[in-house]
This record gives sequence, structure tokens and C-alpha cells, in this order.
Amino acid sequence: MTTDQWIASTCGLCYGTCSIRAHVVDDVLVKIEGNPESAIGRGRLCGKGVAGIMTLYDPNRVNVPLRRTNPVKGKGVDPGWREISWDEALDEVTARLTKVHDDDPRKLFIQRTTTNTAIRAPMMMFAAAFGTPNSWAAGGGLHCGNGAHLIGGLYHASWSLVPDFKHCRLAIYFGASKGHGAGHVSCTNMQDAADARARGMRLVVVDPMANFASAKANEWVPIRPGTDAALALAMVDVILNDLGVWDAEYLAQKTNAPYLIGPDGCYVRDAETGKPLVWDAARGHAVRYDTPDGAALALEGAYDVAGVRARPAFVLLREHVRQFSPEWAERISTVPAATIRRLAREFATEAMVGSTIVLDGKRLPYRPVAAIYFRGSQGHKNSVYNCFAIELLNQVVGAADVVGGALGFNPVCYGHPETGKPWYEPKSGPDGLMITGTWVAPHLPYPISDPKHPSTMSLGGLFPLGMFGPTMASSDQEELWTKFGLPYRPEVMLNYGANSLLSVGNSDTVAETLARIPFIVSFDITLTEFSEFADLVLPDASYLEALDSRPNVPFIFNHPAGLGAWSWPVRQPVVPPAGQRRSAAEVLIALVDRLGIREEFNAVANTHLKLDGPHRLEFGTPYRHEEICDRELKSHFGAERGLAWFKEHGVISWPKRVEEVYWRAFLDVRVPVYWEFLIGLNRKAKPIANAAGLDWDDAWYDPLPRWMPCPSHEVQDGAFDLWGFYYRDTLHTNSFTNENPWLDEASRLDPFSYTIALNAATGRRKGLRDGQPVTLESPHGRRVRGRVHLTETVHPECVGIGGCAGHWAKTLPIARGKGVMFNDLLEVDWAHGSPVNLNLDTCVKLRIAP
Amino acid sequence: MRYGMAIDLKRCIGCYGCQLSCKAEHGTPPGVFFARVVKREFGTFPNTQLVYLPTLCFHCTNAPCVDVCPTGASHYREGGVVDITKDDCVGCRACMQACPYGARYFNETQTGYFPGQGLTPYEQKKYAAQNVGIVLKCNFCIDRVQAGLEPACVANCAARARTFGDLDDPHSEVSQLVRLRGGEQLQPELGTRPNVYYLPPA
Repeated sequence: MTTDQWIASTCGLCYGTCSIRAHVVDDVLVKIEGNPESAIGRGRLCGKGVAGIMTLYDPNRVNVPLRRTNPVKGKGVDPGWREISWDEALDEVTARLTKVHDDDPRKLFIQRTTTNTAIRAPMMMFAAAFGTPNSWAAGGGLHCGNGAHLIGGLYHASWSLVPDFKHCRLAIYFGASKGHGAGHVSCTNMQDAADARARGMRLVVVDPMANFASAKANEWVPIRPGTDAALALAMVDVILNDLGVWDAEYLAQKTNAPYLIGPDGCYVRDAETGKPLVWDAARGHAVRYDTPDGAALALEGAYDVAGVRARPAFVLLREHVRQFSPEWAERISTVPAATIRRLAREFATEAMVGSTIVLDGKRLPYRPVAAIYFRGSQGHKNSVYNCFAIELLNQVVGAADVVGGALGFNPVCYGHPETGKPWYEPKSGPDGLMITGTWVAPHLPYPISDPKHPSTMSLGGLFPLGMFGPTMASSDQEELWTKFGLPYRPEVMLNYGANSLLSVGNSDTVAETLARIPFIVSFDITLTEFSEFADLVLPDASYLEALDSRPNVPFIFNHPAGLGAWSWPVRQPVVPPAGQRRSAAEVLIALVDRLGIREEFNAVANTHLKLDGPHRLEFGTPYRHEEICDRELKSHFGAERGLAWFKEHGVISWPKRVEEVYWRAFLDVRVPVYWEFLIGLNRKAKPIANAAGLDWDDAWYDPLPRWMPCPSHEVQDGAFDLWGFYYRDTLHTNSFTNENPWLDEASRLDPFSYTIALNAATGRRKGLRDGQPVTLESPHGRRVRGRVHLTETVHPECVGIGGCAGHWAKTLPIARGKGVMFNDLLEVDWAHGSPVNLNLDTCVKLRIAP
Repeated sequence: MRYGMAIDLKRCIGCYGCQLSCKAEHGTPPGVFFARVVKREFGTFPNTQLVYLPTLCFHCTNAPCVDVCPTGASHYREGGVVDITKDDCVGCRACMQACPYGARYFNETQTGYFPGQGLTPYEQKKYAAQNVGIVLKCNFCIDRVQAGLEPACVANCAARARTFGDLDDPHSEVSQLVRLRGGEQLQPELGTRPNVYYLPPA
């Protein structure tokens, strides 16, 4: 008898996690389509999403637990895998973890991929229950979000931002591709961005390469990598000082621009309450920023307050940016000064400061411009100031979470109409600055925690602005740990799906750090380059074989912004796991009981998953993954809508409200245009660093942004005449999808996907022809080889490399030998990391090796 | 009734959703694409534009492939759809030479996507419908269309760049787009009268 089913679930081939429907005939998956009942993808998928069939049925999948027999670990060294039973595997993991847990739980190093986000909650809960703070996403954060995500959180209470596609009239992207084929909310954004283009939204893309967003832009502004802050600061200078345009009402009410700053650069505070003071022009004296009966807050002038000469932060900002003229920025960024002035004027004019619009009967500010930053501008040592400077464009004209402006992804949610859940909104924190209502990682963008002597592998305690640090896999890891007296070393690594050999930086450095870890256990669907360092590989169920009650949570991560619908889908197995594959989430829970940390785990789960009322977990009771999923869904959507309901219906949706999308006008929170908190942070962090013998440069801790050079900008040897960068290819997610043969085939036919893109004139000058194999070399002697593609779409000083390819593992026969591993050119050490948020610099000076 | 398609080059972002959803729908073997995306760049730095050009069989009204087919396997179906009757195709490949748009593929062997590792369960199921030694091509997903669905590449296009419908009906969305946006056929001078129109990128 033929069976024929459509099963609603969720894609897992990138963190966009679009809702899907899987067509299963006679227990074989024959098609994946988008689920039109969900706002996440709205029934349409990218090429990756429909190609998932080939990932599921890859004959190179791991089907049984594997134990290493060769004690020697190294790149290209055969681990000598021996098949073992799950019992044997879990017995060994339990023994290893028990020893570490009894000794010092911090010796457990947890690593996960960003490709499949379903593991984030289980891994974070496991880490918290076990008691280790040492967890990271193996290149995630370091490359893509230490700056952009935290600054998105600081200003928009969200992981990232997009233009209000329905209303924006001018969007300027600084190294971002939102709506053009990759990343957060990828498929819905593609639809919304296409509608915006059709409607006439003008898109300007600042990028060293004109593909993806820049290919669809009205104007491409080629820029030298790592110089976005210079361009943005010059634009802010033109807007504030030449054009004299700013949104005084927004700045006074929604930012710390009116806060009075004393000669020491710090807030002038109310003696009684310690709260920052502002100048009330009506009363003619200083008042607390939150004076209950309101105040006419001065943005200009200088005042004698509490015995000091104080000026509003906005005055300092205007004065500060005067030094960044368009001519200065042209020398750094290569963007012509005239272009900078024109873009600034267009942005300031299109912002229509003062205008309003009525939506749903409510009169709201209308600022149809947006400055958007992501991977390109953020992937540098200077990621903080790059993103800060670009964000100032939105802030000075008040184009933040208002109609037409830069929108966070759903920082406010008032829940399903029947239950009022999930519910969260930003609130006012210390000094009146905004705290996010919900967040993705344990540490919030604000308030900034006090720096302390670091006790984690990432040194994170000393750098509270960063999420992850390079010392998790750097060449100077041991030196830095020794400097700071880290009282332990990683003894067991628990990895989920990450291939850190490819995803962090040069593979030799990463390999050395992995080889020092005594025992590595890894959940994987195939053996990868990372597996060469694993002691135990556990066969994971793929996203099409696994269950997850929260594939799009939190909504600030990958749920579409703008008006429309909320959707909460589930992920469920569309076919049963083949072989002995088991879902990692289930295995982690089995380990929880084996390790005797069930009480801790359940307590963490109650908080992390916001389990409520009768659905909270009893501390001592063992629950299976499926039961926890059921309780999570019931907590949000009522007892009648548990896992069974969601398995049948796939998704629940309800309409968004104007107050949720354009929340800025409705909530009394402020964001900082002047980072006064950096002064205090520097004052406290510097002595700790100095005591450990670490060099410290105060310039990274100024309360106002500046352009700081990347290490690539300081290379003196003229032979290295090219800037190398990588970009996200629409066909691939990290290093994971290279093994999918449909995507690989498309990449082989694509002119850019697997090649080294070099400006045609530059190439001709070097005597290169299209398709010629070349070797790229860094000043540190790192080399990669690939075919050059001569194109007009790259800045003449640059080479662009797509994705994270260049696999060499024999266990990945489709991916092996394809494309170029750009990351192999990157240094991973303190000098290439940001001394303020630990971001890794991902641009590198190169030459074509003779 | 004359089925046709408008492809909006302004909306397309080259995500390959059409190429791969087509592959998933039809289970085409390696090297065979009923739908494809090609990239072409124009101009010189910095005044350059990279254009994403989705392609498929243009279902020409004067299809040279139909003219040259010695067995009548290539034929016009209802709505002007150009299709191949598998049982009548002898694999002579004259049609491939005749098609100026490279829309036809010869299915040489039953090789799967994992060379030397056999066929996946998906391939086993889908390849049963593909005959070896014959020519394969897009048929506008006529089975889907007859079932009231859009062609797979249209239904899946995230940027909604592809619009399918009746070009004989002046009020259909596809006719209006072609008229209002100035849709153009590829190489109209060949006289093939393609029923796929491109809407300009700018």
C-alpha cells in the first residue's frame, strides 16, 4: 500500500530556519517545500532548503557510534574508527564527564555549530546544569556577531536589524545582505526586499564586492575592507555639522544625547540618586533625566552644574565627528568625498525628520531611511566602532524602530491573543538605558557587567562587550591563559556539528589547540576534518529526523521583522532516524541522568524555556526531550496545544500589532549615542590586564567611535598588495552544505561560488587569465590555492572568496577539494582580536604567490 | 490558451531556489537542469552590474526542436507546452542541436549524485520515472498545472520573480507584466517566438 503524507516541520540548513512541508511517499522523502501557513518563509525556500533531501540521504552519514583507535591526532591522520554500541559510547562519555564534573566542571569545553540552531537551547542548558562557562560557536560570534549582534541588542533590543521593507525609502547596507539570499530570516526577507525594490526603495550597498545585495542595489559603493567606520563617521559629520540635520525630539527623549557630561567624560550625576542629569531649558537648571513631570531637555550649550562645566553628550558627539571629514574618510576607505557628501545628504533628506504617518489609527514617527550593518562591517578588529558609527546614522535622524526606519527583529512581543505568551519588551535599565526584553545568549548587551579577572577560556570576564573570544582556539591560547592564571585547562570537549578546523581561522592553529584536549566527543551527521581530532563520534539525527519545539525562538533571532504575522512552528521527524542515529537533544538528556545533574538541568530548563504553572518540571523527575518540548508548547499556548497539536498542525500564527513592530514610540527607554559606560569599563579592566602583563590601548575604550585600523591596514610590505575577504554565498551555510551534491553542483557552475574573485583590471595587470590556478599568500606565510575568476564586480584592491569551503576529508567525497578555505589565511591570536569585544579580524593582506 | 512565464530580473536575487526546487520536483540526474540560474556581468568597474538570469525551456511557439524531431516525440501539448513523449524519443539529439537556448539535456546514464555509492532512496524513487538514453526537458510542470498548482520553480520563488499564466488572456497577471514592464524575449530575431519573457533588471 502506498502512503503519501505532507509533514510540517522546519528547515535546518541555516539559522533562517524557514517553515517547511515535507512530502513523504512510502517512507521516502521526495520533496521539501515551504509552508505557506507560516510567516517564516511564507511558503517559499532558497536553493539550500529544497536541497535538504540530499543531506538526509547522504550515504556518507554516520550511522553508528565510532571510537578512535589511533591515539595520534592530526590533520589528515586516520583516527582508525571502530564501531561501538551506544551503551559503550555513553558509558565512556559518562565516565569522562563524571571525572571532570567531580574535579572542576569548567574543564568541559562545549562547542556547537551555528548552522543548526536547534541545539542551542539543549547545549546551553546542559552547560549550565553541568557548571561550565566554557562554551562557544566555533567561529560564530568571532566572525559574525560579537559586534553587530550586541550593538543590535544595545540599540534595537534585537540580534540584528533590517530596513522596514514596507515603508523604507532609502536603505544603506554596510557589508550586509539582508534580503538577498543568506542569513537571518533569509527567505521572508528575500520576498520583502523584492517587494521593496518593486515599490522603489532605493538601496545603496557599501561593499568591496558587487554580488548579492550589491548586485541588486541602485548604487554600489566599493569600499576597502574594514573601513566602514571612517565612511559612516564622515557621513555623520556631514549630517550634523554641514547640513545641521538631526531629530531633536528623538535624541532628547529616546537617547542619552541630552545627558550632561563633565570634563572627565562621565555623566554629571544627581548627588542624591546618582542618576545622570540633563539641562532643563524651561526651568533653567539641571534635572534628573527621568524627572517625572518632564523637561525641556537641552541638546546644546554648556552649563555650570554641580561645580563643573557640563555639556550635553550631543555636543560632544557633534564636536567629535568634526575630525572625520569626507576627505579624510576618502583616504582611508577609497570612497570619494563627493560620494560621501551626497550619500549623507540623501540620507538626511530622505529621513524627513519631523514627519509622521498614521498606522492602525495611531500617529507614529515616519523616518524612511535605514543604515544596516552586518558581517562585512562587523568582521574586523574594529567591529564595535564600525557598528556603533553606522548605527549613529539611524540614531541622529531618529530612524530606529519607527515606520520606515531600521527595525530590530521583533524585540517586543505581547503574545498569542488567547494566552498572552510569549511576552517580552525592552525596559529601562541603569542610567535609563535600554535592557532587551529577551536575548539569545546568557549575557546581555546592556547593562555591561563589571570586568573581572578572567576565569574562562575565552577571557570573557575581562571583556564584557564580547560574546566569544579567539583564545578558545588561538595560537597564543596557552600564553594568555598562563598570563591570567587560568586555574584549569580543557579536558573534555563536547562538540555539536561544528567543524572548527574550517570555521575559525587557519586550520594549523586550530588543530594544535584541539590536539591538546585529552578527550573530544562529537555529535555529527558525517565525519569531517574536525572528526580527525575526535575520540568518539556519536551519530546525530539530521534536522529532518529530529524534534524541536522552538525552531524560531527567540523571535529576535530569525523571525521576520515588520508588520504581518507571528508564527511559532515546530520541527518534527519527517522520516525516522536511520541506522543507530539519535537526536543529540535526547542524548544530552540521557547524559543528564547518567551524570546525576537532573535537578540542575530541570531548574535551568524551567527558566530557559519559560515553563509555566503545571508545565514546570519537577526537580527530581526524569523527563524525555519530547516531554519537555510538550511542556514548553503548553506553557505558551495552553494545555490543549501541546506537542500532539503542533505535530498535527505544524505551526500556530497570530497577527502582529503596531505596538510590537513600531515599539520605539510606545516604550520609555533610551539608547546611548555616547558610551559613557566604556570609561568606567576601561578604568576597571585596564589594571586587571596590566597586572597580567597584557598591553592595553585606551583608544579602544573612547565613549565615541573612531576608525581603528585592522592589522591588514598596518602591513608595510608593499608586495602584499591585495585585501582578502570572504563573503557568504547564497548556496552554502558555513562549511556544512558543501557536502550536499545538488548545492555542490550548482556551485561548480556558478562563476563565484568556488573561485577567487579578482578585479579584472588588477588581474590583467598581473598577467592572470580567468580560471587560472593561483596561490594566495598572507604576510604570515599562510597559503591557499584556487582558481581565479576575473570580474568587474570586485574592488581593484581586493580578492573575494565565497563561503567556507576547501574541505580535505576523505569522508566528505562531495565537498572534498572544492572551493577555497579562506579562513586558512587568518591568524587567530590576540593581535588579530579586538581588545574591546574579542572579535577576530577577518580581512587579510595577500599577494599572489610567485 | 497559451502558457507562458514572465521572469522579473529586478526581483530575482539568484538564490537558486528555482533551479533546485525543479531538481527536487523532477529528480533530474546530475548535469540536467530544467531550470537554471546563470550569472552575467555587464559594464566595467565600478559601473558594473551582475545580472541573475533564471532560465528554462521557453516553450517557443515556433519551436525548432519540434520541427527537427524525426519521430514526433517532441511535440506541442495543450496550451502550447513543448514536451517529449518518452516512448517515442530515440535519443538522436537533433533537438538539442536545434534548440538555440540549450534547454534540452540527454540522459546518458543512471548515475546518482553520490558517484560509486549507489542511488539514494530518493533517487531510486524518482529515477524510475526517467528513461535512460533519451532527451529530457522542462514541460512547465504540466502535471502540476493540470492539478491546479503552479510550476515548481514559480511556486517556490522566494523573491516572486517568476509569474506563470495564460499569455492569450490579456488580463492575466503574466500578460499584464509583459505589457506594462516591457517584457522581452531572448533572441527574438531567431523567430522562435519564446513564451518566456524577461522583465528588465532596472
